[in-house]
Amino acid sequence: MNLADIYQLWQGAWPAGVTMLALGSSFAVALLIASEKLKVKVDPKIEQIYEALPHLDCGACGFAGCSSYARAVLEKPELIGKCAPGGPETSGKIAEILSLQISDSGVLKRPIVHCRAHDDDKSCYGKYQGIPTCTAANVLPNVQACKFGCLGFGDCCYACKFDALGIVDGLATIDYEKCTGCGACSKACPRNLIEMIPFSYENMMTVACSSKEAGKTTRAMCKVGCIGCGICGKQTEQFRVEDNLARLDYEKYQPTEQTETALNKCPTGVIIYVGKTAPAAKQPTEKAVSA
Amino acid sequence: MDTLNILIMGFISIVIVNNLVFTKFLGICPYLGVSGRIDMAFGMGMAVTFVVTLSGTLTWMIDHWVLMKLGLEVTRYVCFILVIAGAVQLVEMYVRKFFPSLYESFGIFLPLITTNCAILGLCLFINLWEIDNLLEAVVLSFGAGIGFTMAICIMAGIRENLNLADVPDCLKGAPITLITAGILALAFMGFAGMIR
Repeated sequence: MNLADIYQLWQGAWPAGVTMLALGSSFAVALLIASEKLKVKVDPKIEQIYEALPHLDCGACGFAGCSSYARAVLEKPELIGKCAPGGPETSGKIAEILSLQISDSGVLKRPIVHCRAHDDDKSCYGKYQGIPTCTAANVLPNVQACKFGCLGFGDCCYACKFDALGIVDGLATIDYEKCTGCGACSKACPRNLIEMIPFSYENMMTVACSSKEAGKTTRAMCKVGCIGCGICGKQTEQFRVEDNLARLDYEKYQPTEQTETALNKCPTGVIIYVGKTAPAAKQPTEKAVSA
Repeated sequence: MDTLNILIMGFISIVIVNNLVFTKFLGICPYLGVSGRIDMAFGMGMAVTFVVTLSGTLTWMIDHWVLMKLGLEVTRYVCFILVIAGAVQLVEMYVRKFFPSLYESFGIFLPLITTNCAILGLCLFINLWEIDNLLEAVVLSFGAGIGFTMAICIMAGIRENLNLADVPDCLKGAPITLITAGILALAFMGFAGMIR
């Protein structure tokens, strides 16, 4: 290739280059004018609040996503603290941006499942073969013997955006490492088994049953149901038995010797620890099973 | 009367017979990606219609009044991409300013249209079919957008119903979607050759 060839190439190429340049710059100018004319003023605070949010778009606050919540908070500061995954830390940051004072009543809320019956523990009258969702199954009266227990079709798992719930042997099981506390699962459960409770300690004690049937009925249909015997209530006032069902007062809960005794003395082993490092639940004692 | 006839036939042709998605297999990415819910699909279709009409018209003008005059048809692709990207930017700014709620609901789709091959495809087809009338180019571009909207909405409708159907485990998700897309394209093959 000699100089003449290169010159020829140049002769052919330059109009294309100039045209592209002209087109490109005319578009650039048009866009520049448009961007000035059509500028949307965004309050820098919205951006700051958005940055402080966890960017999960989970919808726990009741808005479509983090960006719409950021805008709403700026207009109505009373909406602060609606961000469940962010918790008090995020609320604090937002308050700082909006120069507000917030009380730090911030204990993170986490869901717990008020049932601990796996497939082996439940009893059923027949096999359900309808639409495989809890909501659909719950409409039928006798889908499983227990009217209160986990159905295990996983509506809560579909509701969870963080993959923190799974069905293990027919029981919804929460992975507290992944859970952000958005509360979507507790809304999804048609039997209201999942409750959002304040986790004042890393591991919380709970009565993992919702059955309000009489003790005998409960025992007949579930190996691990609460029979309302009241042994836990005798140990400590933190437990209360109402409608054949023991409940722990989560607000007052403190790990003491008495609660530990209550856990150990529970004949069906329905009092368990839940949380990130919860010890495995003990199996129901032989006596309780045979009784 | 004759012009009107050509326009109507052209419109029907691009919507049904030469549908970009079903017969040219263009714009498959949003067609499969955004067809999960019918309202989202419709939003995407509308955005594409808007952009394709604008860019189809603009590219025809540039092609005929600049590139062909200067004998620079080789730079068509580059120019067209430039026009489409610019048009999308412009549309995005406009929508953001005047229809904030629409902008919210479009979300990421609006910038994604830049890389929608149905739009570049249509601009090149207009050239390939030797459309030498601006009005016809506009109608064809608009028709292409409507055709895309129709395709993506049909797909979304089917997929919404598929969610309730008992699909074998091995076909769940992408496979059944692709099979559906194939059968849909096959169905639209029935129109082939009816007009132009």
